[in-house]
Amino acid sequence: MKNKIIILLILCLFLCGCGNYRELNQIAIITGIGIDKKDDNYEVSMLIANAGKSETSSKEGESKPTVYSGKGSSLIEATKEVDRKTPKQLYFGHINVVLISEDIAKEGFLNVADWLLRNPESRKKFYLLMTKDKTAKEVLEIVSPLEAFPSQNIGTLMESNEETQAIASSITYSDFINNILNEGLEPVLPSITVAGSSKEGESKANLDKTSPSSYLKLETLAIFKGDKFQDYTNANDSKLINILKNTVKQSVFTINYDKTKVNFNMKNIKSKITIQNNQKFNIKVKGDATLAEINSNTNLNDEKIINNIESKLNNQITKDINNLIKKLQTKYKSDILGLGNMIYKNYPDTWQKIKNNWNDTYFPKAQINIQTDIQLVSTGSLENTIRKEYQK
Amino acid sequence: MEKIIKSAKKNIEKVKKLYGNSSDLTTRIIKLGKINVGIIFMESSSAALTVSEHIIKSINMIENDKKIFESVFDNLKNRIFNSQVITINDFEKFPYFLSAGFTIIITDDSDEAIVMETRLPLDRGVTESSSEPILRGPKDSFTESHAKNLGLIRKRIKDKNLWFDEVKIGRRTQTRVNIAYINDIADKKEVNYIKKTLKNIDIDGILDSGNLREYLINEKSAFPQVQSTERPDLVCQSLLNGKIAIIVENSPFVLLVPAVFIDFTHTPEDYYQKPLNISLTRILKFISLLITLFTPAIYIAITTFDQVVVPNELLISLAVQRESVPFPTSLEIILLMTIFEILRESDIRMPSNMGTAMSIVGALVLGSAAVDAGIVSPIAVIVVAFTSICSLIFTDIDFMNGIRFWRFIFIIFASFLGLIGLVVAVMIFIIKLASLENFGVSYLSPFSPFNISAQKDALVRFSTPNIFKRPSYIKIKNYFKQGGSHEK
Repeated sequence: MKNKIIILLILCLFLCGCGNYRELNQIAIITGIGIDKKDDNYEVSMLIANAGKSETSSKEGESKPTVYSGKGSSLIEATKEVDRKTPKQLYFGHINVVLISEDIAKEGFLNVADWLLRNPESRKKFYLLMTKDKTAKEVLEIVSPLEAFPSQNIGTLMESNEETQAIASSITYSDFINNILNEGLEPVLPSITVAGSSKEGESKANLDKTSPSSYLKLETLAIFKGDKFQDYTNANDSKLINILKNTVKQSVFTINYDKTKVNFNMKNIKSKITIQNNQKFNIKVKGDATLAEINSNTNLNDEKIINNIESKLNNQITKDINNLIKKLQTKYKSDILGLGNMIYKNYPDTWQKIKNNWNDTYFPKAQINIQTDIQLVSTGSLENTIRKEYQK
Repeated sequence: MEKIIKSAKKNIEKVKKLYGNSSDLTTRIIKLGKINVGIIFMESSSAALTVSEHIIKSINMIENDKKIFESVFDNLKNRIFNSQVITINDFEKFPYFLSAGFTIIITDDSDEAIVMETRLPLDRGVTESSSEPILRGPKDSFTESHAKNLGLIRKRIKDKNLWFDEVKIGRRTQTRVNIAYINDIADKKEVNYIKKTLKNIDIDGILDSGNLREYLINEKSAFPQVQSTERPDLVCQSLLNGKIAIIVENSPFVLLVPAVFIDFTHTPEDYYQKPLNISLTRILKFISLLITLFTPAIYIAITTFDQVVVPNELLISLAVQRESVPFPTSLEIILLMTIFEILRESDIRMPSNMGTAMSIVGALVLGSAAVDAGIVSPIAVIVVAFTSICSLIFTDIDFMNGIRFWRFIFIIFASFLGLIGLVVAVMIFIIKLASLENFGVSYLSPFSPFNISAQKDALVRFSTPNIFKRPSYIKIKNYFKQGGSHEK
């Protein structure tokens, strides 16, 4: 009896289809993919992390990342061409970042979405970015002095930005596709570009310079309508969109006060969108602000002034959010905040009637009420301003 | 039974013939009036000085006393200078006593013989334990001397209920085997069972307790089901917990039954140090147990089948390291493991003054040179080294070998079926261990079957004042260590 159970257990092993033996040195680990369109063909560029040991540092386990690219009428065909160029088996399990060019985004992302989603090997949790002005291949080829692999560079760039400035938010491939498929919600996508000459950035010589001649730079969010790219926002709007979508916790903000600029670091930002009825929405933004830079001679020990600064900050943010929403309603006509989705969830019957014209007719008419509750919790390491101390 | 002839000369002739005139057989005849007194002893196992001091002196003293000539035997028996004097009337028992270092005295006027203890201490004395060293606690260990071994236990437990039952095993060696237990704690049924089993052994010789363990229990698993130790304090701890110890003459290793899995992960030192720190040490040991069992198998599984679970940068680093290695990963690991096992085995057998040569060959040549030559990858060396170090945390050699056996099974499953194969192998491993039973105790006790009160001294240790009961998964008569009723 016991033996029979053991035999049954062993037989179970052969029921699973994922057993796929391959040695590590037989696979080409793809860490980044760039998708471009050239004429009528797709060009797929793959950043392969373990293309071979760099001769000088065979011991330290350093590798030489290399970009291979192939063309084809479909993405699979382009992949096959890459496959023919590499002596190793392409391995999609560790993709870190996927870049799509502006052309692809304008044409519609769903044209290229299927390939990586259908591939059982890929994890679907990699970052998706759009390249601004440059092709995806050019961005992929930039060697960074701070990170070992170009694709890693993009990932950490996004993560650190999310922590500090909140212009870009990290959006994964599956998030993006979910956002496209969600009713009453339009997606956004961070964009990236190459600053400086991209030709020089490809070579390893770029690493040896004290100030690299080219580097990667995160750009503002791109607004989509469905799977199609609409327009870029500006930096401030990107920040606000991230705050409203709750994708960041920290940010920076600047207001004018006493003829000088006052900068704030914002922490614990939380926003909440509630629906009143199918036309009226409330947005609440909460958070803590810390004074980051102030060069005027304002007396920070005065509670009235502090309160004044705080209310000014709140007003400024409210105004900015209002402007942003106006822009979304009239200029882009794209409901990236997911207001339609709230109607879909709360009033499904109404949604069925209005969903076809939501972005063009109903969304621009929606009334959105904004409340901000940002508290100035600290003035940083200094109690008062330097100028004030100087005048004493 | 063969009767003793009433003649010292004839008896001596008979003994000489029995031993084929062995050179270490020493005999002497002393005349007391008309009566011959024969003295027989083995030069090799008896202390000649003791013989002369005690016996010859006694006889000479008796000689001066004129009255004794009527009954030499009775006088000798009563007046001899020795604490252990036995009379026997069976000639067949002569060889046993002679070999055991006793001196036999025969007289013409009796068909009995006086046997007295004149043993030569053929042991190295009580030394520090070499196979189970500890930092804090008693340092003595068992030796090859049976009386000393029993004494090391007796002096620790002064209870009258500490009983030693003796069985002689071995047609030729006639080895004394003692079953030690505390009468009002240990389960009498198990004691009787062990005694019966030992009595039924019919073999020409038992030289070490290791020979006996296979008779005691049919060990089907690679893991040991009998604990063997050379530490008297561990034996006493186990006796107090209701276990049964088997002490074999000439063996410094005492067997303890019933032994369960966690016994091999504990040390007697656990009870001499602070409970909080020992709990951490035990958790650390448990982690090392997992590491030493699974690391190579997991490494093989995740680098050849399930690369998806490895973090990005680590996978790239691993891939680059393996770039020029000509062997498949599993072969590489098995190769290195085999080399390590050979190193370990030769390190035990080798005289210690050759250790330097071996560590140079082992560490430099097999380690870094193999990596530089591109035969193995650095990460494989790390995996094997880490695994091996973690296995050395356990003291019982059979336990370590059990771990090694299963580690290879896991490696084989992982190299053919990846993580899924490993999971199946682990299931088989746990089923196998849980199905083991010795002396009515489940091998994975107290975890399976789960025993709440025994958890106080399992993976962690509570402070001693809080542990009232002996481990209740062992069949015992009296559960209370402290508090409660002393009787039951």
